[in-house]
Amino acid sequence: MSPLRASRRRLAAVSTVAVATLFATSACGGGGESDSKGAGLNAGVKKVANASDKKGGTLKFVGVQDAQSWDTSRMYYGFEFSFARFYSRQLVSYTPAPGQKSVELKPDLAKDMAKISDDGKTYEYTLKDGLKWEDGKPITSQDVKYGIERQWAQKTISGGPVYVRDAIDPKKKYKGPYEEPEGIDAIETPDDKTIIFHLPKRNGDFEQMLAMATNSPVRKDKDKKSKYGLKPFSSGPYKFQSYTPNKSLTLVRNKHWSRKTDPLRKGLPDKVQVTLLTNADERDKRLINGDADLDLNQRGMDSQGRTTALKQHKDNVDNPETGFISYVVFPQNVKPFENIHCRKAVIYGTDHKSVQTARGGPMAGGKLATNMLPPSIPGYDEKDDQYGIAKNGGKADVAKAKEELKKCGKPNGFKTRLAVRNTDKADVKSSEAVQASLKKIGIDVEIDQFDGSQGTSIVGNPDVVKKKQYGLILYGWGPDFPSGQGYGRALWHSDAILDNGNNNMGMIDDEKIDKGLDEAVAELDPKKAADKYAQVNHDVMEGAYYLPLTYMKVVQWRSSRLTNVYAADAYSGWYDFVNIGVK
Amino acid sequence: MLTYLIRRLLAVAVMLVVIVLAVFCIFFLIPKWTGTDPATMYVGKQADKEALEGVREKLQLDEPILLQLFEFFKGIFVGRDYVGGGTVTHCPAPCFGYSFRNEQAIWPVLTDRLPVTLYLALGAALLWLVIGLAVGVVSALKRGSIWDRLGMTGALAGVSLPVYFTGLILLTVFAYQLGLVSNSFTPFGENVGKWFSGMILPWISLAFLFGAMYARITRATMLEVMGEDYIRTARAKGLKEQTVIGKHAMRSTMTPILTLLGIDIGALMGGAILTETTFSIPGLGQAVLKAINERDLPLILGVTLITATAVVIANLIVDLLYGVIDPRVRLG
Amino acid sequence: MTAPLHEESTAKSAVAEPAPSGAEKKIEGRSLGRIAWDRLKRDKVALIGGAVVLLLVLVAIFAPAITALTGQMPNQRHEDLIDPLFSTPKGALGGISGEHLLGVEPVSGRDIFARILYGARVSILVGFLSAIVAVIIGTILGTLAGYFGGWLDALISRVMDMLLAFPQLLFIISLISVMPNSLLGLTGTGVRLLVMILVIGFFGWPYIGRIVRGQVLSLREREYIEAARSLGAGRRYILSKELLPNLVAPITVYMTLMIPTNILTEAALSFLGVGVKPPTASWGAMLSDAVQYYESDPMYMIIPGVAIFITVLAFNLFGDGVRDALDPKGTR
Repeated sequence: MSPLRASRRRLAAVSTVAVATLFATSACGGGGESDSKGAGLNAGVKKVANASDKKGGTLKFVGVQDAQSWDTSRMYYGFEFSFARFYSRQLVSYTPAPGQKSVELKPDLAKDMAKISDDGKTYEYTLKDGLKWEDGKPITSQDVKYGIERQWAQKTISGGPVYVRDAIDPKKKYKGPYEEPEGIDAIETPDDKTIIFHLPKRNGDFEQMLAMATNSPVRKDKDKKSKYGLKPFSSGPYKFQSYTPNKSLTLVRNKHWSRKTDPLRKGLPDKVQVTLLTNADERDKRLINGDADLDLNQRGMDSQGRTTALKQHKDNVDNPETGFISYVVFPQNVKPFENIHCRKAVIYGTDHKSVQTARGGPMAGGKLATNMLPPSIPGYDEKDDQYGIAKNGGKADVAKAKEELKKCGKPNGFKTRLAVRNTDKADVKSSEAVQASLKKIGIDVEIDQFDGSQGTSIVGNPDVVKKKQYGLILYGWGPDFPSGQGYGRALWHSDAILDNGNNNMGMIDDEKIDKGLDEAVAELDPKKAADKYAQVNHDVMEGAYYLPLTYMKVVQWRSSRLTNVYAADAYSGWYDFVNIGVK
Repeated sequence: MLTYLIRRLLAVAVMLVVIVLAVFCIFFLIPKWTGTDPATMYVGKQADKEALEGVREKLQLDEPILLQLFEFFKGIFVGRDYVGGGTVTHCPAPCFGYSFRNEQAIWPVLTDRLPVTLYLALGAALLWLVIGLAVGVVSALKRGSIWDRLGMTGALAGVSLPVYFTGLILLTVFAYQLGLVSNSFTPFGENVGKWFSGMILPWISLAFLFGAMYARITRATMLEVMGEDYIRTARAKGLKEQTVIGKHAMRSTMTPILTLLGIDIGALMGGAILTETTFSIPGLGQAVLKAINERDLPLILGVTLITATAVVIANLIVDLLYGVIDPRVRLG
Repeated sequence: MTAPLHEESTAKSAVAEPAPSGAEKKIEGRSLGRIAWDRLKRDKVALIGGAVVLLLVLVAIFAPAITALTGQMPNQRHEDLIDPLFSTPKGALGGISGEHLLGVEPVSGRDIFARILYGARVSILVGFLSAIVAVIIGTILGTLAGYFGGWLDALISRVMDMLLAFPQLLFIISLISVMPNSLLGLTGTGVRLLVMILVIGFFGWPYIGRIVRGQVLSLREREYIEAARSLGAGRRYILSKELLPNLVAPITVYMTLMIPTNILTEAALSFLGVGVKPPTASWGAMLSDAVQYYESDPMYMIIPGVAIFITVLAFNLFGDGVRDALDPKGTR
């Protein structure tokens, strides 16, 4: 896993602009209620709402957070990955189907899935015929290679995940296409149609990594480097017509794209429009009024919009589970959390119900989390509830907590500090709930908010964590790609402990967990791998390294005129944008 | 007159340099003093060594502040070249650089947002001038009457209410409950009627606050002026009361009002942050608030400079206007 | 923009020439303070304002005792009073009941009455202390500029002009946003309070400085100072014994009028998310949080808004009264 994978950008919240987005007042005027009814509550969860193939119309997104960049190499948020598929294609991509089925990979630019060598270290793809860029020129294997190589150039175009780089070139010998234009040897392109990847070590998720938008083709003559994100060159069904950051974005059909070469993208609307606001309340009002169809950022509606939607427009609401989890981690380098009983005392002593309410209740806040693997990850097992969190209905188990406190040698409790990022309002509210419930068992928690945008150098730095005495860190996490590796390796593996940008904040150094993870990563059969990840997850909980809080859910708006809408696990439980049409 | 102008302009230039220097200090020096590596503030979540190095190079963090300052001003007047990642980008004058966040050129952002804020400020100013002057003059002339009391009570309420609270209440009542006006901003170019409807409440909110202040000031100045000898003289000469007030008293009253107006309109160019936030108006205030949160220095610098320039220019215009309004004032 | 210190210009005209009158009155054998007090006593409205101010100060000081009496702590959660699906309080009017006099907050169910009381501490603390900072800096620099004149005067005056034209809110937000979490042994809210007090005070001093400078300038040439000087009095003596007493009146007026402005600024900063940190209660922060619920729980927005309004209004009423009382011309 990459040292670069500093933190879950996608989770890191809509509110980089903490202020601007948080308060919201104005909303939108005019625009009467949409006359037709929605497809029903949860019509887009685990099934397709309004399945249709009708073309035409304009699909209208509204959002409160612009992409950090629309450059496929620089994006990291889930909504960006999903949106990027409008104008980019990958060697392989996800199945256009609701729920768990979406996770299965299908060939996209490639004719077939990879030909993998017997040792599992070489992946070979052949491109389909008739693939074209938006100017009609053919998409070649060199374009694919160049697009992938751009993630080596972190100095110029930072921001995106670098899984493929780390899988192919873990020592970072290659300096990227700007400094070494001759390219990396480990990716071969013997002809325009063939591309071969050589891995130093087998990795069962390599194709999952390739499916990320990060690995879309980019044509060298169109690469404007750090400015590429202002107008990416399209290989997908739509192309950029105009883009003003933080204001608006319009995509129109790319007439050189053909449905015949692309079974994964329906490309139904004629036009895709994005309007960016600064105010979540206004966004929700526009959705409810019918001025926009769906939320670009997919983080769910705000309190007021949620109330209106659930009370008056239930049929337009989906409430899918997402791949995200909210949790508290105990850095073992901070006393007294080197002691498992002290950790267990906190787990038993936390009132999960109170945290759930703080996060927005069962629909907006999410399900009570019983372990660390969220529902959209293969290997998820709801019944793995070693601390009786669900069994107790989320209430704290004060008796057990006190018992553990005795065992940990602090019968009267202790003082500690909890770190929480100030950019995520639900996190801040959760931390106050944790603080209140731990007070009841004698643990005195001081809340310390840190600047969410500096997470990597604060909670991601074990020395800083020790210096600041953060015994508890409240954080959120989601998979970069839907597998136990994409989700859990950075959290649990001892190799993932880093000096900066660390995500194994609990400093877990457990041989059994490491071994279990290594085996799971090398496993090429997804089913068997899932079982292995489930076992690792079980061991993690047994070691009481984490206090899972909630599996996050979102209250998602789906306008009545939308067709073909479904929440897909491949996008952390959010909508598969590129297949949505309008009536 | 000419030397006066030159002197003023020179002072303006010095002031703008100082302001830019202050912004530089806030975002580069203070983090250094308090022990934060400024580069980590701009690198976002990605604390990779290379990314940090890239940030340092891009922001020229290793260069001395004065050199950065020089480069910045050079960019504004003659344009500048950005070197980074093996490429050179030329940014033509007036170059305010590129956003740290999305690489967008700053100058177009400023020119795009400026009119929005300008309309907000000017529309509100017109409203508060009319209201403020009218209430103030009536209160002063009918001192102690019910009108005076009503006016001054209203004015006192006006200066005591936070503008965002007024805004929220107005929005709730007039936009949501009664549906009389639009509650969201529509660009002027898109639909003038909708634009107007969306601007009414922001104008009123701002005008309520400033109008109240102006009413109080107008009243106070007017009362003072009415006691002056030359007014008595004018009256003694047998001039009509209308002429006395309209021609003589008003002139003197206008002088301090104008001074304030200059400062206020200028300050609103960057200071309508609260109003723009409350009403989601995509003006300079909102842009700069977002920029501060994202530590997008070029944008902060751009807005700060525009604001300061606006204040200075407004002051200059006011000074020149003094000569017209009050013949006693001669520039020199 | 928060209400800038425009009140000043009203005050400026009012207190421009207090010294001679002070001297005149001395002949009658009554001190200026005595006269002012007699006048203030007759001003019912100002007295009411003063009483409210006093009450607020007491409430702020004794907030813990009062909440102990009602049995509600500001950070105590009552999630059982919250509808889990919509996060808003169960029951009408934001959950107002005998137990929770002003209802409870959405999401956490914390008692709003207790939080309003604790919020008063933040407002009053920042309002007063930042005004004191402004008075100290303003008096010292204003006196220096006025008394010594020359290049020192020129320098200080230019700095004041420049600061007055600074986009203040923008600078304050920027400064706070780069401040580290711990400073001088303080952490979290402590740092924010300190920084707010210093920064708001810093941007307020030029208003005081200008007036003081003007006063000193005019006093400096008066006979009694001349007399003192010719009798061989040292500079220090003249400054502290002859000048300062004459500055007390205008400074008092300014300070009382500056406090409400500072309270508004603190609320605005908290509203914009750069004020005190949660869970510390602040009126501005409550308002900013309440914006999300303005339809579903309007009381949560109205209560802190009204709290700010009453406080600022009371200070303004009292400040007006003090100004009128100290204004020898009695134009009002």
